[in-house]
Amino acid sequence: MSEELDLMDDLDGKEDSQKGMFMTFQIADECYGIAITFVEEIVGIQSITAVPEIEDYIKGLINIRGKIIPVIDVRVRLKQTPREYTDRTCIIVINVKSTTVGLIVDEIAGVITVNEKEIILPPSLSQSNTGNSKYVFGLVRVENEVKLLLDPEKLIRDEDVEALEEAAPTGEIAEA
Amino acid sequence: MGEDFNTDSMLDMFLYESEQLLENLDNTVLEQKDEECFDEESINEIFRVMHTIKGSSGIMMYENITKVSHKLEDVFYYLRESHPENVPHLELVDHVLEVSDFITGELEKIKSGETPDGDESKLVEEIDKFLTKIKTGISQKGEELPPENTYVEPNQFYIAPTGSESSKYYKVSIYWRDDTQMCNIRAYTAVYALKEVAEDLQYIPDDIISNEESSDVILEDGFHMLVQCQCSKDEVKAAIGETSGMDRVEISDCTKQEFEMGFHEQEEHPIIIELDEKEKVPEKKPEKKDPAPGDYVIKNKETGKSKKLAKNQPKQQPKQTYISVNVEKLDDLMDMIGELVISEATVLQNPDLKVPGLELSNFQKSASQLSKITTELQDVIMSMRMMPLTNTFQKMNRIVFDVSRKLGKDIELEVIGENTEVDKNIIEHISDPLMHLVRNSVDHGIESKEERLAAGKNPKGKITLEAKNEGGKVYIIVRDDGKGLNKQKLYDKARANGLIGNRAMSDFTEKEIFQFITYAGFSTKEQVTEYSGRGVGMDVVVKNIQAVGGNLEIDSVEGGGSEMTMKIPLTLAIINGIVMQVGNSTFVIETNDIKEFVRVSKDMLVKEPDGEEYIMLRDECYPFIRLNRRYHLDDSKAEIEDGIVVVLEHENKNVCVFIDQLIAEQEIVVKPIPSYIKKVQGLSGCTQLGDGSIALILDIAGLIAGEEKK
Repeated sequence: MSEELDLMDDLDGKEDSQKGMFMTFQIADECYGIAITFVEEIVGIQSITAVPEIEDYIKGLINIRGKIIPVIDVRVRLKQTPREYTDRTCIIVINVKSTTVGLIVDEIAGVITVNEKEIILPPSLSQSNTGNSKYVFGLVRVENEVKLLLDPEKLIRDEDVEALEEAAPTGEIAEA
Repeated sequence: MGEDFNTDSMLDMFLYESEQLLENLDNTVLEQKDEECFDEESINEIFRVMHTIKGSSGIMMYENITKVSHKLEDVFYYLRESHPENVPHLELVDHVLEVSDFITGELEKIKSGETPDGDESKLVEEIDKFLTKIKTGISQKGEELPPENTYVEPNQFYIAPTGSESSKYYKVSIYWRDDTQMCNIRAYTAVYALKEVAEDLQYIPDDIISNEESSDVILEDGFHMLVQCQCSKDEVKAAIGETSGMDRVEISDCTKQEFEMGFHEQEEHPIIIELDEKEKVPEKKPEKKDPAPGDYVIKNKETGKSKKLAKNQPKQQPKQTYISVNVEKLDDLMDMIGELVISEATVLQNPDLKVPGLELSNFQKSASQLSKITTELQDVIMSMRMMPLTNTFQKMNRIVFDVSRKLGKDIELEVIGENTEVDKNIIEHISDPLMHLVRNSVDHGIESKEERLAAGKNPKGKITLEAKNEGGKVYIIVRDDGKGLNKQKLYDKARANGLIGNRAMSDFTEKEIFQFITYAGFSTKEQVTEYSGRGVGMDVVVKNIQAVGGNLEIDSVEGGGSEMTMKIPLTLAIINGIVMQVGNSTFVIETNDIKEFVRVSKDMLVKEPDGEEYIMLRDECYPFIRLNRRYHLDDSKAEIEDGIVVVLEHENKNVCVFIDQLIAEQEIVVKPIPSYIKKVQGLSGCTQLGDGSIALILDIAGLIAGEEKK
């Protein structure tokens, strides 16, 4: 994991060089990617304070250097069976439109660089708003493995809000 | 500036500066609203403010602001130069405030990204009329008008009008001792003083204001003036007076010709200019040229030296320097310091140190030094967030003035303790409620003059605004000596509006009856006025005060006045709380809300068939909330005898909450729950405990409300 952290440090402040880069991580059997421009930092799993009466995928609050941020279990969000956290479990702290949220993922895979042209849109059949595909805006093949690229904004946003604003397309996603 | 030059920062600067200036302006004006007229210093001040705003708004191309400020500047230029008598002072005050309001309004528009499109023409016209009025008032009395506020060539001097055959002419020379500083300013002081008596004067060097090097010339050659006046040598000498560093003053007679020759023979004759201007005066239009670098009067004023010119001014206190910092940065700093304190604890109580037989005396010394520094750091960051209430109170001054004038009441506002410091966030929250309370006092509290006289009171009403620190809270009191509250009336009204059901008046204490006015949908004022009495009001005030953890107490003596006391916490950021545990979760309740902790036995618990529970405690019945059930928490105690019951009180409502165990009482730093998480009823925030874990802060009002809804 320290490898990734170092990598992040290197990238700090180089917006342009981040273009087309995705942080990839493992959830169950699939590998997902999220545009690196959204990623603020990666921390190991830590104690999470549960908040009552909230959505099941929001696990609660964590404290990162005095800042209190909510965390989402991506497994639950993607409708997978939850599992115990291990020492490989990580929290990716992302910042989307000044909302800071932590994403709990099974394992960090690494950083990939993707050429925009290589991104395949998800097949139209699955573009209905069901299952995982509503969070996935594209697929990319890297070394015979398909990675699903996630739209972080959709990932963290509440379904209800989304349904309300569905009529208006949410515009710019990752600029990859 | 170079590449830093961008309009955004210029705009920010313009807005910031103008706001500051207008605030000062309002204060200056209101301070003297009850006087006969403005004193010289205020006139200068207002003139200067208007001039600056005119200039900067001109640069920013906000034409309407420029025009209005220009107009008012004209008025004050006139006042300053000709000291007219019988200026209708209140009217003038009105005009100044109108202009200030207009510009403030436009600035607001600019701030919210709109174009400042307010129509200035009416305002300009009114001020124009006013100016003409005071001017004609003067001319009718046979006096002459001063020169217009036009740009004067730098090498021509200020010319005081009027002259007559009997005038005497003197040549005055002043010499300063060699070690004197700022001779040019001292010289100007003399000019200024002579202006009072002189009909006309010229001086050399002529650039004493704009050119600081003239100071050296004056030291070398002395300062020479030609004065035309009606008075004797001695009077001239007296007018110049003694200032420190002055070596000697020579006054000699001279002839009119010599005077007219001036210091420069080639120069255009000053008197001619004067005449020219006199001719212009009658059909003069409010046109004025823009200020130019040589506009010496202003130049001097803007460098803040005006104080030196005014006579008998108390010394100004050394200016404090301020830097404005984004609150977010302060919050970040506070977060970091909080984190530092926690890291400190983890280092100092590190388990590695607990090896038996370890020699730690040096470590302990450094450790205590570190603790001292972090504690101080915490204090400093807290104090940085504190601001005096001065500004907020000064705004009230304005409100009292406006409202009382419009209602035709004569009211004096006394302000006590405006230097009391409160957290900035709180100040933002109490400004509106305070404004409302003050308006209420002016509108409903203080009676009309006739009523006051009939009641044998001073016809002038009095409102006192007081702030003080007491017991970790800030008290802000609005007191008036008006008619007070009528209990019977309040009770009848509350009952008629169905706010209290059918309970008898004797059921309520005096204070409870006064609290009726804070109920939603209650307004005792039969007539809705522009300022208050819309039926929304006091309940909103109370809500706002409660939002910052404060409350409002009302006290009143019928016929003697009312007193509204806002009690608000010093800071939002830190509260005293009790940390407690339910299952695996940690909660915090503000200490002030807690009445007591009790161990309850099973027989004190009353259970209704529908599952609702009550606690009988000392013959009183309290609603009972099990936090674990309310928030579906696992692994918590189910048996009432195993846990602890906390009795909470909020706005005279009691509720019992069942928890597993108490942990500690401590000061906690309140943080909002991230907005990403939707609002959970009964939770008002979260905090970080000493070990870095997070606890949720319970909001009693929310808990009770949630319970009532069921």
